Amino acid sequence: MGNKQTIFTDEQLDAYQDCTFFTRKEILRLHGRYHELAPHLVPMDYTNNPDVKLPSALIVNMPELKENPFRNRIVESFSEDGLGNLSFNDFVDMFSVLSETAPKELKAIYAFKIYDFNTDNFICKEDLEKTLNKLTREELTPEEVNLVCEKAIEETDMDGDNKLSYDDFENMISRAPDFLR
Amino acid sequence: MSAATQPSPPCRALYSARRQSSLKKTPRRFYLTYQENSDGFSDEEDRDEEWVDSNDPEEVFQNIQFQKEIIADIRSRPWPMAHKLKALRQAKQIVLKYEGRLTRTQGYQAAGADLLKKASRVLYNIVVLFIPWEMRIKKIESHFGSGVASYFIFLRWLFGINIVLTVMTGAFVVLPELLAGAPYGSTRRKTIPKEQISSAQDLDTIWSLGARLLTTLSAFSRITRHCEPGYLQYSVLFYGYYGSVRKIGSAGYRLPLAYFLVGMAVFAYSFIVLLRKMAKNSRLSLVSASDENYTFCWRVFCAWDFLIGNHEAAESKGAAIVNNIREAIVEEQEKKKETSLLALVSLRVLANILVLLSLAGSIYIIYFVVDRSQRLEQEKQELTLWEKNEVSVVVSLITMIAPSAFELVAQLEMYHPRTSLRFQLARVLVLYLGNLYSLIIALLDKVNSMNSVSPATVGNWSDSSAFLATSALMGEENQSTIMPEISEWRNATYSLATEAGETTGVAALSNNMTTSPEFSMRSPQDQCWETYVGQEMLKLSVIDMIFTVASILLIDFFRGLFVRYVSDCWCWDLESKFPEYGEFKIAENVLHLIYNQGMIWMGTFFSPCLPAFNVLKLVGLMYLRSWAVLTCDVPHQQVFRASRSNNFYLAMLLFMLFLCMLPTVFAIVRYRPSQHCGPFSGQDKIYDIIPETIAADFPLWLSRMMSYVTSPVVVLPALLLLFMLIYYLQSIARSLKFTNNQLRIQLQMASQQANRRECRRLRENTADKKRVLKFAAARLTASESGEEMVEEEENEVMSQGTSICSSGLKHNSSIANCKLPEHQGSSIPTISQPVSHKDISQTTRVMWGGPMPKAQKKRKEYIPSRYPDCLEGSDRSFKLYHQGLNRPSGYYTEHTHFKSLQRKGFRPMYCKPAQYVIVSEHGACRKPLRPASWTPRCTRMNKPGDAVELFPQSGCWPKTFMPYRSYLPEEEEEGAENPHIQRYSFSQTLQPQCLSDLTQPAHLYTGDMGSQEPVEGLHSSWAKADWEDPKLRTRSHSDVRSCEPPSKDCVLQVKMHVKPKKRKKVEVCLPESDSASLDSSSDPQNSGSDQYIQVIQSKEKSLRSCDRPSRKKFNSGADLNMSAENELIYSNV
Repeated sequence: MGNKQTIFTDEQLDAYQDCTFFTRKEILRLHGRYHELAPHLVPMDYTNNPDVKLPSALIVNMPELKENPFRNRIVESFSEDGLGNLSFNDFVDMFSVLSETAPKELKAIYAFKIYDFNTDNFICKEDLEKTLNKLTREELTPEEVNLVCEKAIEETDMDGDNKLSYDDFENMISRAPDFLR
Repeated sequence: MSAATQPSPPCRALYSARRQSSLKKTPRRFYLTYQENSDGFSDEEDRDEEWVDSNDPEEVFQNIQFQKEIIADIRSRPWPMAHKLKALRQAKQIVLKYEGRLTRTQGYQAAGADLLKKASRVLYNIVVLFIPWEMRIKKIESHFGSGVASYFIFLRWLFGINIVLTVMTGAFVVLPELLAGAPYGSTRRKTIPKEQISSAQDLDTIWSLGARLLTTLSAFSRITRHCEPGYLQYSVLFYGYYGSVRKIGSAGYRLPLAYFLVGMAVFAYSFIVLLRKMAKNSRLSLVSASDENYTFCWRVFCAWDFLIGNHEAAESKGAAIVNNIREAIVEEQEKKKETSLLALVSLRVLANILVLLSLAGSIYIIYFVVDRSQRLEQEKQELTLWEKNEVSVVVSLITMIAPSAFELVAQLEMYHPRTSLRFQLARVLVLYLGNLYSLIIALLDKVNSMNSVSPATVGNWSDSSAFLATSALMGEENQSTIMPEISEWRNATYSLATEAGETTGVAALSNNMTTSPEFSMRSPQDQCWETYVGQEMLKLSVIDMIFTVASILLIDFFRGLFVRYVSDCWCWDLESKFPEYGEFKIAENVLHLIYNQGMIWMGTFFSPCLPAFNVLKLVGLMYLRSWAVLTCDVPHQQVFRASRSNNFYLAMLLFMLFLCMLPTVFAIVRYRPSQHCGPFSGQDKIYDIIPETIAADFPLWLSRMMSYVTSPVVVLPALLLLFMLIYYLQSIARSLKFTNNQLRIQLQMASQQANRRECRRLRENTADKKRVLKFAAARLTASESGEEMVEEEENEVMSQGTSICSSGLKHNSSIANCKLPEHQGSSIPTISQPVSHKDISQTTRVMWGGPMPKAQKKRKEYIPSRYPDCLEGSDRSFKLYHQGLNRPSGYYTEHTHFKSLQRKGFRPMYCKPAQYVIVSEHGACRKPLRPASWTPRCTRMNKPGDAVELFPQSGCWPKTFMPYRSYLPEEEEEGAENPHIQRYSFSQTLQPQCLSDLTQPAHLYTGDMGSQEPVEGLHSSWAKADWEDPKLRTRSHSDVRSCEPPSKDCVLQVKMHVKPKKRKKVEVCLPESDSASLDSSSDPQNSGSDQYIQVIQSKEKSLRSCDRPSRKKFNSGADLNMSAENELIYSNV
């Protein structure tokens, strides 16, 4: 990257490539995107790992996430503080997991986190209801939502505690034909 | 993951412990450290130091391997990025640092591997740049989701295949011909007949690609009709242009051979690529989607396409999801209900009849059109543009219209959308195939007639006359009209007859003759059927392209424009009512691609440049489609999920390939090549080129060998062998499938059982605990001092939630005591009176003899949750034991940290050495908020006659407990069933785990009691002792055994770092000092059944409890599955 301004050192890029599913160019592009979100906050020079975090409000408005009903949850689950403020590392991490090359198992882990709205490590009925309402933009009647939630739990819940643990979830999701993002 | 928030102080302690402990279990150890990293973000410097001291090359090697493993798959680990980066850096450092210590070769190897890795990464980075249309596809993907993108990915993949095909034909056939073959015009077959030159440049003619019979206005009116060749016909585009000279150029390139081989290689390559892709995909998608167990879950969790970024797409996706879910609800509700079956069935039958009719109709139309065009050719002098192209146009029209008709019909059927989509696809596929087949059959028919002429020309007169008759019979007027001339002409040649006028054409008979007499009886040449077929295919392909473009423009673009701009002034809402916007129908479009590819495969042999043309077509299609999709389409409502790992399209493509190969191969085998054109002219069969080459150009032995090999003697057994092989593999596959099913069933059963058990445990949990309490109470009552206490206990337990003490009784009347602490704020005096003090000395004084039946312990553990009140008891008095029994994940491990222990009340009693009591307490502090969550419990178990003790402690508990997340009650039940038995037999049931607890009490005890000496002795012995050592056990008189819960070994390693003399201090320092026991079981692989417990007491303040981190790991890892044997046990002193 000779004449260009250095954004990352080579070691950084290597490390990122090791840790994500991206190529060098994609990482640089990601940085570009990140920079675009808040040009005044995000430095161009990342060689010394500046501690910059962008609030979730900015991230959520990226076109990639804008239409996603779970955008807030996604951002929250990838942020280190759980509030949705993403550092560049988190940002890269998020896109890495969401990228098509990420293995299904990894996605399942994060999917679980995303659907676990109250972060109690279980997907309970309230989580499901929230999921459904987001998904359908609240077009279903409460009875329908209720029914679906019950059915879903009934189908998947193996240990009878009326909520889905990660095991349940993983078991279910691994058999889904179209759990591919 | 609350655990993640915990600090991870303890590593150092851990390290030191580990350092001393194990050189042998390196892998485990590495794993641990690694885990440590993962959760604790612990300081690396320390770690590095730790590493320094390992000099054992083996260890280093393993370490490095392990670190490399981390490096390799770090990207798949669900850690936050910062952490990954850190772990990565560390791992790399370690590798770097220690790699050099290994042998030199290893170092070189490593360096080489490193270099290779770097190079491959660079290469990968470059290669990625060259993936065509990546950005474009990504953009579409981000707007419309993966379904639409899958079309383009498929398109790109086909594009790749066609590139390879183009290279193959181009490099081995077209280029040599162009470079070394006889130049244009040098031979007759490569020359446009003179009389046609004038018209050859007309657009009309070029377009017609020749081959159509056209009347020319040539002066030579004797021939009223002949093929109208355009330039294209006489080009490398078609079969007919290629020379039949066996070797061309100075290098002696065997063009005909190459032509044949390439023609076959095209098919072979396509097959291989397709099959490989399919195999790869099926490996990717191991999921058997067959069981419909999770209808709702899938609809909820897998519904959203995370790639959608376009507002409209999102809207429609949302609507689709709602529909989908409603549908599922309705289905669920109506599962049992039968709708009016009769009407439905009749409707479906009707629909199928309609479809069949339209299929038959389309086939008939194609056949009719081909036939008509033939007739027209014969009858009319000049064909209009329409007439020349009507076959292709009709075929393309049918291709376009019929699918929509099928869609209408499908609405009659009222299938589930997914089903109806499949039906639709199947029908369209059949339609396409029908089209292609009827076309090719009609063409071959024509070829048949043409071909039959050729033999006549070569044959003698009688032949040809005979042929005349046949052809007349066949009603091939086309031919027959030409026939007379030919035959006449023949006549002249061979039978030296007559008709001087035409004799000039004689030369044409011998292939090598060039020249073109003016008059050129070109009919033989023009009847190059291979060229003809190739032309038809090319023409079809071109027209198909035109139609595609037109339909994209009309149906998508203009409609989109119209809807968008006229909508405002229209009387209804155009956007949502009738015309709407065009939908991108993925399935149909993919099928269309497949169809297109089928044409290419069919025609490639006859027109080597067809793949090249197809490449251009696909490129154009890619741009046009993507443009259209982005500008004017909305995604299809019912998206047929065709992801990359879906073999559905590929299977159809394979099917298509096979079916398209058939006619070509059939033609090659069945028909005689044209005599006057093409590389195989003069041969009897096209494939004769192979034997001929072998015979002529290879050494004799080879040809002899070939003749053996191809003789039935070899071929038949070989075939047989193949069949057997296929059968064998098939049966293996079948049995594997069977096994698979069995395994799956077993798995299901197992998990169900496990679940059931868990439920039961949950349910029994309470009951068990009660039972235990009762039992304890009963014992108490039995004992002398008993009853009041029991009651007291119960009361307290139940109502106040005090700590419970169980007192063990001896029969002897020595008694235990219990104490019940009270609660609220006061630290409690616990009183345990050792009845048999004397024993103490003998015994290890330490409590630790803890041969507790697990059951008890566990039960106790649960208790707190049961009696929440207990938690309130502010006393943090107590603790005692915690043991994590076999809890899988170390949940139990309790760390007890006593910040300050007040030992005053504390008296452990021990009785006979063998019998111990253990109290396990464990505070279930669920929340840090309740500091007091520990309930003191004293358990006692003894044989009759043994004393029990209690430990009340009035400890002040620091509130530093870990939040205790989930406490899994699973194991309890085992013990629960027969507590009595266990108690009595506890000598067998000793649980080593108790150790951890023991240590504590020991200290306390010692401190208080003043029975110090023995203690010291113990300590020292412990320090060295490995508890596995039988000796040790004997020494302690305890029947400590490692009890095996089924299949586990318990290994106890006890390390005491504390020097006895400092004991006092230690006590003072208690809060900080920890004993950490680590279960190496954190290594899931190896430790399946081992338990290692290390109890370490260190006085150092700096040490922090290691528990946290390790536990955290467990939690965070959510490794519930970890074998039950894994545990972490910590004892804190």
